[in-house]
Amino acid sequence: MAFFLETLFGGLMAGMLYSLVALGFVLIFKASGVFNFAQGAMVLVAALCMARFAEWIPAWTGLESKLLSNILAFAVSVVFMFLLAWVIERLVLRHLVNQEGVTLLMATLGITYFIDGFGQTLFGSDIYKIDVGMPKDPVFVLDGIFEGGVLVNQEDVVAALIAAVLVAALSLFFQKTGTGRALRAVADDHQAAQSIGIPLNRIWVIVWCVAGITALVAGIIWGSKLGVQFSLTTVALRALPVIILGGLTSVPGAIIGGLIIGVGEKLSEVYLGPLVGGGIEIWFAYMLALVFLLFRPQGLFGEKIIDRV
Amino acid sequence: MSKVIGDVILDVKNISLRFGGVKALTDISFNVKEHEIRSIIGPNGAGKSSMLNCINGVYTPSEGSITFRGQTFDHMNSRQVAEMGIARTFQNLALFKGMSVIDNIMSGRNLKIKSNLLLQALRIGPAQREEEAHREKVEHIIDFLEIQAFRKTPVGQLPYGLQKRVDLGRALAMEPQVLLLDEPMAGMNLEEKQDMCRFILDVNDEFGTTIVLIEHDMGVVMDISDRVVVLDYGKKIGDGAPDEVRNNEDVIRAYLGTSH
Repeated sequence: MAFFLETLFGGLMAGMLYSLVALGFVLIFKASGVFNFAQGAMVLVAALCMARFAEWIPAWTGLESKLLSNILAFAVSVVFMFLLAWVIERLVLRHLVNQEGVTLLMATLGITYFIDGFGQTLFGSDIYKIDVGMPKDPVFVLDGIFEGGVLVNQEDVVAALIAAVLVAALSLFFQKTGTGRALRAVADDHQAAQSIGIPLNRIWVIVWCVAGITALVAGIIWGSKLGVQFSLTTVALRALPVIILGGLTSVPGAIIGGLIIGVGEKLSEVYLGPLVGGGIEIWFAYMLALVFLLFRPQGLFGEKIIDRV
Repeated sequence: MSKVIGDVILDVKNISLRFGGVKALTDISFNVKEHEIRSIIGPNGAGKSSMLNCINGVYTPSEGSITFRGQTFDHMNSRQVAEMGIARTFQNLALFKGMSVIDNIMSGRNLKIKSNLLLQALRIGPAQREEEAHREKVEHIIDFLEIQAFRKTPVGQLPYGLQKRVDLGRALAMEPQVLLLDEPMAGMNLEEKQDMCRFILDVNDEFGTTIVLIEHDMGVVMDISDRVVVLDYGKKIGDGAPDEVRNNEDVIRAYLGTSH
């Protein structure tokens, strides 16, 4: 039983990380109807920026305090992501108002390669470390109930908390504020949104900024766990099934979808893996996504697809 | 009905619009006076929607100027036009389909929301009061358009006639001075048309909103308009009170064709 719980927790935590990346996709799609292929690249570049400045700032200024240099590096990274959002809007999106979704998708594909290359030119392409002082030691919990207790990774717990706070803030923003409503309006119809005085350009900058912050948080957490390296961009691919599961337009969906996939991967690997010779973890998420596409194409929480003929 | 028609509020001067070699509009001039219902009619392809899109800032005219309340604009986008107090509805519905009726109409209040994001998100203090005030206005519009029963329904699920009403409601929520209606009665049955006519007259009457109406159904237009502009092949062929226009030779020819 304790082993089952350990696997479950492990899965939940891994799922939380998928959720964070999926969240970035959902945000941009919800607010502009664009499937942003560049989300993975944004996670990478945000993490690179954070990792490098955390090294550079003490080297340049002789700052001793690790905490302070981490905070400064974070601030620089936020500014960097904002600038990136602004540049993307200015140079790419602004010229594509009222274009088909496919056009915008292709544009984000271009942005992906640009950010990948540019980020590594700027910050280098080695493997870097992010150390924001996350507690690394695993602890045993519930040892009153199970013999020996359940092994939990503290780092994962902190990451989960951060993700939870982020999600709560974003839900409030989308559901309760006028700007949130304007964002949803823009996603539905650019033309109509403009006609009621919603500033399309500003909305796009806002949403790419928010997605940038999400990418940064995801990048820091992933980066401090696995190191910052090019393979971080492929994290984005892991998030795709999460979005299909949760629904492209749902913030809670991204979270639940991530958790289901995280838990599913771990449990299936541990309990089904031996039967088929292992390796389930790699394809399980995609398989689940396929099943969902068959029976519930809008995902668990997505807006129902209504088509009047 | 004894309404007072005011001064010229919107003045369109010598507007031409070309798409490549195609002349959509040629040298069109007309004005709109405060509180009136001004219609632009014409057969299909006459350039009615192009005209409206020029006023609305979707298209930038190749030549000519548009003056709204003494302010002339030639390079305006839709949003700036909205800020000046001109709202519009769409011929092919452009509603936010995934959002509820309330949210659609509330989105029309976007320009009027003043309190900051944080307060809004937490629903505290002035933001709470502001939200309630906006909501009250929106409820008033919902009552007015008789769509109370569909408040929470996603707009995409409503029948066409009701969607048209929501479209009107969203424009009304902006409390515009001029309301541009692009074929509000297209594709409606008789009963729906009558309802829509009643709403348009009431908006004009109760809110005092100036209305510019595009329609190709002559009958409807003649009954509710104060003055009518007639376009054909991008040119103005008639302008005046409904009765004058009805007896205008060119207009009759445009609608009925000439005998050869």
